This record gives sequence, C-alpha cells and structure tokens, in this order.
Amino acid sequence: MSSAKVKMREKKMRNQPASVQYPASPLSMESSAQNGQDAAVTGGGGGPSYMPPKEGSKPPQQQRGWVRGHKKGGGGYAKEMPKYISAGAFARARAAEVSAMLKAITKTTSSCHVFGALPKHMRRRAMSHNTKRLPRRLRDAAYRMREKSLQAKKKEQAKSKSRKARRRHGNLLLEFNRRQRKNVWLETHIWHAKRFHMVKKWGYCLGDRPTYKCYRSCYRAMSTHCLLQDLSYYCCIELQGEEDKLLASLSQLTSKETGPTFAAALCVSGRRQGSVVVYRAGHYPSQPLGPVTFLWRVRTQGSTHRQLWIWAHPTIKQDLVSELQTVCQCCEAVVTPAPTSEQELVPEKTHEAMQISRTKRKRRSKDDQGPPAKKILGDGTRSPTTPVSWKSSSTGIVINDLTMEVVCYRLIGPQSHSVLAETLEAATDCDEINKTQPSCFWWPEHCKDEGKMSLHQQQADVFRTLKGIYSTGELPSGTVLGLTVDDPRLTLPTKKVKALPCVKRAQEVDEEKRRELMLRGVPERYCQSFLWERSVRDNVTENKISEQELNRMRSEVLVPGSRLSPTPLQGRVPILLVHHPGKQVGHEMSSWGAGWDLLLPKGWGMAFWVPLVYRGVRIGGLNMSLKHSQNKGTPHFPDDYPDCPAGVRFQAEQEAELLDKFRRRPPAKRTNYVKLGCLAPFRCPWQQLAEEWELIMKEREERKGGSQTQTTTAADTVTEEMTLYPDITVTKPQSHFNVLRNRKSLKLLSGWCRPTTSKGQRPCRVRGVTTLDSAAVTSFLTEHRMSLVWVRMLLLSKGKPELHAMVCVPVTEDIKQLSKDTDSCGPQELPHRNHFKSKLKHSKKGSKKAAASSLFSDKSERKGVGNPSASEPQLTTSPADRKSFHQSSEDPIFGLWPDPLPSVTSHCSRVTLGWVTQGDFSLSAGCGEALGFVSVAGLLNMLLSQPMEHRGIVLLRNPTSLYYRFAKINIDV
Amino acid sequence: MVENTVEMDPVEYTLRKRLPWKLPKRRNDVYVNMKTDFRAQLARCQKLLEGGGHREICVHGLGLAINRAINIALQLQASSQGALQLAANTSTVELVDDLEPEDPDEAGEPMTRTRNNSAIHIKVFYPDTP
Repeated sequence: MSSAKVKMREKKMRNQPASVQYPASPLSMESSAQNGQDAAVTGGGGGPSYMPPKEGSKPPQQQRGWVRGHKKGGGGYAKEMPKYISAGAFARARAAEVSAMLKAITKTTSSCHVFGALPKHMRRRAMSHNTKRLPRRLRDAAYRMREKSLQAKKKEQAKSKSRKARRRHGNLLLEFNRRQRKNVWLETHIWHAKRFHMVKKWGYCLGDRPTYKCYRSCYRAMSTHCLLQDLSYYCCIELQGEEDKLLASLSQLTSKETGPTFAAALCVSGRRQGSVVVYRAGHYPSQPLGPVTFLWRVRTQGSTHRQLWIWAHPTIKQDLVSELQTVCQCCEAVVTPAPTSEQELVPEKTHEAMQISRTKRKRRSKDDQGPPAKKILGDGTRSPTTPVSWKSSSTGIVINDLTMEVVCYRLIGPQSHSVLAETLEAATDCDEINKTQPSCFWWPEHCKDEGKMSLHQQQADVFRTLKGIYSTGELPSGTVLGLTVDDPRLTLPTKKVKALPCVKRAQEVDEEKRRELMLRGVPERYCQSFLWERSVRDNVTENKISEQELNRMRSEVLVPGSRLSPTPLQGRVPILLVHHPGKQVGHEMSSWGAGWDLLLPKGWGMAFWVPLVYRGVRIGGLNMSLKHSQNKGTPHFPDDYPDCPAGVRFQAEQEAELLDKFRRRPPAKRTNYVKLGCLAPFRCPWQQLAEEWELIMKEREERKGGSQTQTTTAADTVTEEMTLYPDITVTKPQSHFNVLRNRKSLKLLSGWCRPTTSKGQRPCRVRGVTTLDSAAVTSFLTEHRMSLVWVRMLLLSKGKPELHAMVCVPVTEDIKQLSKDTDSCGPQELPHRNHFKSKLKHSKKGSKKAAASSLFSDKSERKGVGNPSASEPQLTTSPADRKSFHQSSEDPIFGLWPDPLPSVTSHCSRVTLGWVTQGDFSLSAGCGEALGFVSVAGLLNMLLSQPMEHRGIVLLRNPTSLYYRFAKINIDV
Repeated sequence: MVENTVEMDPVEYTLRKRLPWKLPKRRNDVYVNMKTDFRAQLARCQKLLEGGGHREICVHGLGLAINRAINIALQLQASSQGALQLAANTSTVELVDDLEPEDPDEAGEPMTRTRNNSAIHIKVFYPDTP
C-alpha cells in the first residue's frame, strides 16, 4: 500500500470510534498457542499500517477473528467467551461506544465539503465559488471553509516563485541541476527533450525515439544520407603508461582467439580504432564483460609513454574499471584538485563576491553560467565524490575516468563525411599580432610552433581530400584523423540545407592524393590531435564563447549575415574523427551503415550539434542504434550479450517490463502462451537450453556406443528421446553457458552451415577446412559443449520474426515439403492443452475470499518460495527484482507457464535450438531477418542430419503464432 | 604493399572488398546492380526519361552488371521506337580489397591490393532536333 493511501485512510478513520472493547481477562490472552498467534496477527499492525504477517499464517485465518472497527492501540479481541460479565463495566464500555459513535456522526471529516451534507437535488453549480447559493444554515460553515482553503493556497503560492523568476537563467540552471541529480543529462538534452521520448537509463536521460514518425526515413538516412546520434553517454577510460606494460596487463583481459586485441599492430600505431570483447582477467572464455572500442594515441618521437582511450558502455564501466585496476595494479586513488568540479559544487550565488557592483556581478555570472557552469560534473555511473584517477606505483600506469569529458557524436551513412566536410572547416591561422603577444588561449600558442602548424596544414589537406570521396564506405575502416577546426557556429547556414557531395568539388581534389588516401589510409602522424591533452581540452572548454556573445558579435558585423571576419581567438577546437566500419559480415550490403564518430571536448556539444542538424541529417535515438546494429548483423550491447552481467541484467529488466505489460491486459484478452506452446515468451532460458542439449548429446553418444546403429535422423532421435524421457531434470551443478567467440571455430561452423552444392552459392573454399562429419563434430563439441553461437537467419518466403521467436529443427518431412514447393509456408504446431486451466480455477475459488488480505501477504510468500530455476544464471540477477515478477507455482498467471519450466527443447513438435533476440522485417535484405543465439551442440546435431543441399535450414516460430517459417541460418565471421 | 606480389593465403588473411569508387551522383545517373529486379531498374530508367523530364540519362554498370546495363539501354531504345540514342563508353575501375591478417601474434600489417574491373557508362538521350 502506498503511503498516500495509508494517509488517506488515517484521515478518514480519525474520527471513528477507537476500538472500544470489553477488557479481557489477562489470562485469556495467552491461553492457547492458537489464540496467541492470532492475537499477534491482528494486533501486530499496531495502527493502520498493514504489515504482512511474520509467520506463515494462511490468509483465511486472519479473517476468522471478528474484527471490527479500527485495530488501534493493539490488543485484539479475546477469543474465548468470558465466563461472567460484570454489569457496570459492560455498561460503561457500551456507553463509551455509543458516545464515540455519536461523536463520529456529528463531526464531518475534513475531506468532504459542507455541501456534501446537501441532498443531490439541492446542489448547485459553483457552490464553492459563491456561498450564497447554499441554504442559509450552511453558509457560515462554507464561508469558514473557503477562508481556510484560500489561506492554504496563499501559503503554497509563497513557495513557488513567479514564472519569470523561475525562468531566470541562474534559477533555471539550478533547477536543471536539481533535475539531473539522479540521471545526468547529456549536453544535447534540452534539444532532445523537445523532440524525443526520453528514457532514464544507465544513469542518464537519453532520447529513445523521436516523437515524429521516422522509422523509414531514419533507415533511408542511414543507407543513403546521414543519421546523427549522440553517444556521449559512452564512458571513456584513459590509460597512460609504458607501452609494453600496458599491453602486458591488458592482454589478460582479452584473448587472441577472438580476433585482434589491444595489441594488434595497426591499432597500436594509433591509425585505427579497434574493438574487442573484454573478459574478466584470465577467465577467457567464461565471464565476459562486454565489448569495448579502443583508440591508442599516436606515438610521440622517442618516447614509450602511451595513452589509450577505452570506450565502454555505462553498464560495464564499473566492472571494467575495477578489472583494469587489478590488472594494472592501480589502486591508489589520485586526489586531483579538480578545479572545475569544486567550483560548481558551491552554489553560484554564495561565491559571487559581494563587493562587485551589480553590473559586474551580472557579467561574472554570465561567464560562469556558460557551459562550464552547467553541471557537467560527475556522470550517471558514479557519484561526484569518487575519485576519477588511479595510479600504480609498481607499473607506473595511470587510469583516468574521462566519462563526460569527451563528447561523442556518431554519424551513420554514406554521406556522413560530406556532412562533416560542410560543417567543419579547418582552423584558420591567427594574425601576426596575436602570434607575438602571449595569450591565454591555446591556439595562438600553437601558431607559434612551426612544426605544429605544418602538421595542422597537412591534416587540413587530408580533410579537404575527403571531400572528393563519394561514400564513407570507400575509406579503410577504422581510420582516425585528428584535426583542429573553427567554431562551426560561425558558418551556420541561415536555412537548413541538405549536404550533398558536389561534383565540382570532387573534381577539384587531386586524384593522386585521393587514391593514396584510399589505399593507405591516413598516415600515422596525421592521427595526432590535441584533444588527447587535458590542458588543451580544459582550455577550450573554459574559453568557449557563449551563444549570446556570439550573437552580439554577429550583430556588429557591417554586412548583416556575413561571416565574422577575424575568427575570434577562442573559436578553435581540437577534434578527432574516427571512422567506424559498416556491415563487415555477410556478402550482401557490405559496408552498409559506415560512418564517422566525431569526438569533441566537453562543453562544445551544442555548438557542433546544431550546425550538424542544419546540414539535413536525421537524428536517431536509442532504438535506431538497435536497428543499426540489426541491419549490420552485429550483436547489440547489452541486448545480445546474455553471458555478460550487463546482458543478464538487461534480460531481467526486459522480462519484468514485458510481463508487466502482459499483466496489464485483462485476463481474457491475454495471449495464452500455454496453448501456443511457448514456454518462455518474455525471456530466453539460455542456461537450461545449453544444459539440455548437452544432456541430449551425452545420451546420443551412449546409445551410439551401445548399438552402433543410426537409422533415424538425428532430429527424430532427439524427439524420440525427449518423448521417452519427457522431464529431464537437470540437477548436477554444471558449468555456465558461454557464447562462442573463437574466430577459428566460428569460421569452421560458418563453413559447415553453408549448403555446399546448391545453386547460387559457390562451393565453399576448401582449404584447411575440415568437412562436416561426426568425428569432426565430436571433436568440435568437446571444446564447445556449453556454447551458444550468434546466428543470422533470413526467412525464405514469408513471415516476420519477432522478439524471442523460437528457432527449431525441421523434421525430414518439412525438408521434403520445402524441396517440393519452395514457397511453402511451413508446418504448423498443434495447439497445446492448457493443463493449468482447471488447477487455476480451483485455486481461484478457494482464494477468492482471502483475496483482499492475501494481496499484501503473497509478496512475502513469494519471497519464501523463491525458486532458483535452472535457467537462472548464477551470475547476478539480484534476487530482489526477480522474485517479485517470477510467479511462484502457487500463484500462476493464466496463459503463462509457471516456473520451473519443463524441458525447453522438446516442448513442441519441433526441437528447439535457440531463440531470436532481434527480429524484424529487414529493409536492407527485403525479407524477414532474425538475429539470435542457438546452441552449438544442437546446431551441429541438426547439420549432421540434414541433406547437403538443404544444410542450414531451420524453422522459426513466433511466440504468438502456431506457424513455423523456413529460414536459412548464417554464421558470419 | 599495394602491388599484388604476395599470393594471398586465405587462412592467414580475411578478404574484405571495399565499395567501388563512385562519382557523385546526379539525378539522372543510374547505377545498375545485380540484386535489384531487372524490370524495376528498367522501369526506373523509363520513369526518369518520360516522367522525370530528363533529356538524357546515364546508365552505369560494373563487372557482372555490364551485361545488364547494356540490356537496359537497348530495351529503352527499343521501346522508344527509335527516338532514343545511345552512346556507350567503357572504362576501367580500380577496386580496393582489404586483407586483414589473422595471424595470432598480430604483427602483420593489413594489406590493401587493387584490382581492375571493367565498367560501362551508357548515355541514353533524345537527340536534339535541329
């Protein structure tokens, strides 16, 4: 019960007679254990708060006692009849009751108005406004009441300031700071909040999806023009130290089997951004943390000191930082004075000195309330007081937490570089006068250095060459380019224009240079940027010209609308451009969704955002990044990492959300998942799946060893077995499932999945690839017994896969039907029987009476039941948030299978291999496309039994449908 | 590095083909591919010529799609009863492949190699009536 309800009830009951009772003899209170318990139950509340009974008393028992009135003052009724009654005491008690009742009926509770006393036909509109509409006898009371309410209103009004005061800049900022205390805002928050549905996630307020319709237009933007996203919520962790020491400690977190690691030659040189899946130190292949991208700073001449940025999702940041601390032996927190943060902690008004005159004060506060005064302090993943820097005395490595220090925008699409080329202009040189005199800004200082200026010229040259490129996908993936640019607000067009590549400009570009750039990428030294240096970053952030100042300068220009001629000295920003590769797997639509990441110093977010928007890009939210990765065929974090702690958490949250949505529907309108044969429509019990498949494989091996006959196909055998032993109970403590990320094994699997001799597909290159036979499978499975593998499935004819659709093994008849008629819709599942229906009815009848009281008690009951089903990974899943959603077997929801689930593989007529985690109609493939995980054991089992030309055909069935659809499985490496 | 002197070993390198270089596209440029339905591409060209108000369009085809580009141009001409004229140009397009090393010690530099492919650019236009 919410506290508001409790209060309301208290208010209502205030004037009710206190429980007047006949004083029981003290003996009877403890007379029997039964009574004593009941007394404890009824009296335990001690007031209106409803405490669940501590002991496991059944709800109906609570109702047995004749409870009347309000149980105030403790003390229940005596349960035994008294042997005698003394008349005086009895009369006194009744008299007290009568007087209490009289008091109650004469006094109105404050919640109802005077005219509540009037019969309905005498009530008039606006009585509360004009008391003269009331009958005279009630006027006085009404008048008094009105006075009271007016006073109350006055009091409230005094609290809130006028709108004007509230909208004053300083107050507004204070208000904004208060609102982002729990969930931090990105710099583009206000822009987003006006246009997007915002969600509070991972300690940030993020735009989920725009309020306007944009599904297709965003896709179109991604595939033909440019889509912009604010990814500043990604956390950046900086590592500094000797190169070999860094590499040695980082190598514990990764494995070379999964592909290039932190030590890949090209990445170490600083020319490419790399990405890698991080594991807990030395735990590969179990306990992965999640994917990160990383960027090395280019080597400086004659120094082995290196700098590395690791970009991680906010959900894995804490784990990653602690893991990095252990591998680098960095545990001493460095307490930096943190000049900006402390200043911001103090409310602005107090630290404004009093002696400054009013006008000056205004200016001061204006300067203060530029972007740095906005709360760009701390972030959603840590409290502002925790240290952000750690140092190691033994290895000399320094870890810095740069979260929210660097703004990151992602541009997706083939035209993203033309958007960048239009928006950004390489920084202009500063005049001779400025060069000579010392300046507090960083750029004039840099202009003095000849070497730095020549580097800048060359970088600008490369950037100019980029304009000659038509599509972003033509560049080498992961290219890095450092640059210093002018303030993009200066070149803001007056109207929104769509940035398009220009034929003329393309021809201006030197052909030879372009070719060189395409082939070799950006040379190493051009990847240098001053964004890496903290001092420069801080300088740029502090000295940003405010919007107001800029507009004032603009208004003073002689020709309205022309560009500010000497660019103000503060207006040079170091940036980093990082190319991110598009679709790299699969054969069709290669490098779809390639683009650039734009890294900026903090505080400059909006200054770059608006000019980018003015170049006609679309803006995407979180759901577009999901679609982006779906079209690319890559797993999305944290959705598609079920073996990472963040993925497990995500699954639990998603299940709770879906279940909540399901329960909001009236029971008669809910989907009956039991009848549809869908065991877990809201989650994927991966652990159970892996364990069951392991068991199946084991039994097969045993059987094979016994009889040496293999007549039926594997899938049939499996179904047979499963029907023979319908309830396999997995009891022994087994290893945790993991996701297969070993590249060699993936390649092998990928080769096996391809049909070898069907038309349209070239026979896979056979060199060093073992052919698919049972021996190879057995040896493969010894390594990856409990593994799942990420697969992409394309539907052959119709159908649109949905979230948590089942991936099933077709039986031989299905394959036959498919080869007969390629457009066949696929088999159908027969509706299942709902065994729980009758059970549910019985339990309903029994519990109807107790419904009200059990409302409060069954939460605690569930707590007691708390069944750790086999599917639940032991990793995290804080028991607190799961148990309230998990239905115990005593309290089933109609249409859902209660826990613990029966065997997930053999529940339907087709054996289940896995589930889909992302499924939709794919606009890039032109058919339904699903991404998900399947059990490796199950997959190999299926592949072995399938004929050559139909290898890799699976069936997909949505949780809300009985139809199976044919799909082709692909494993992309 | 650029020269394809070393024979690529498929075990040690992964081959990634980059997108072919394109010139910026005008409205009347049609790049023909092998994935889209032939009739759809033909209809698109017809739309450009008739409804789109362009006097000329350019049909580009690369590699395998050369055949199809020619086919489309000829079909256009045939369906216009001789009103359209063709002017074909051939060219050679340089394509870039990325070879990413798979070696476990990660010392290998990724290589790029270039290869050439033929392309055709057919101008389909209404001749100016003098």
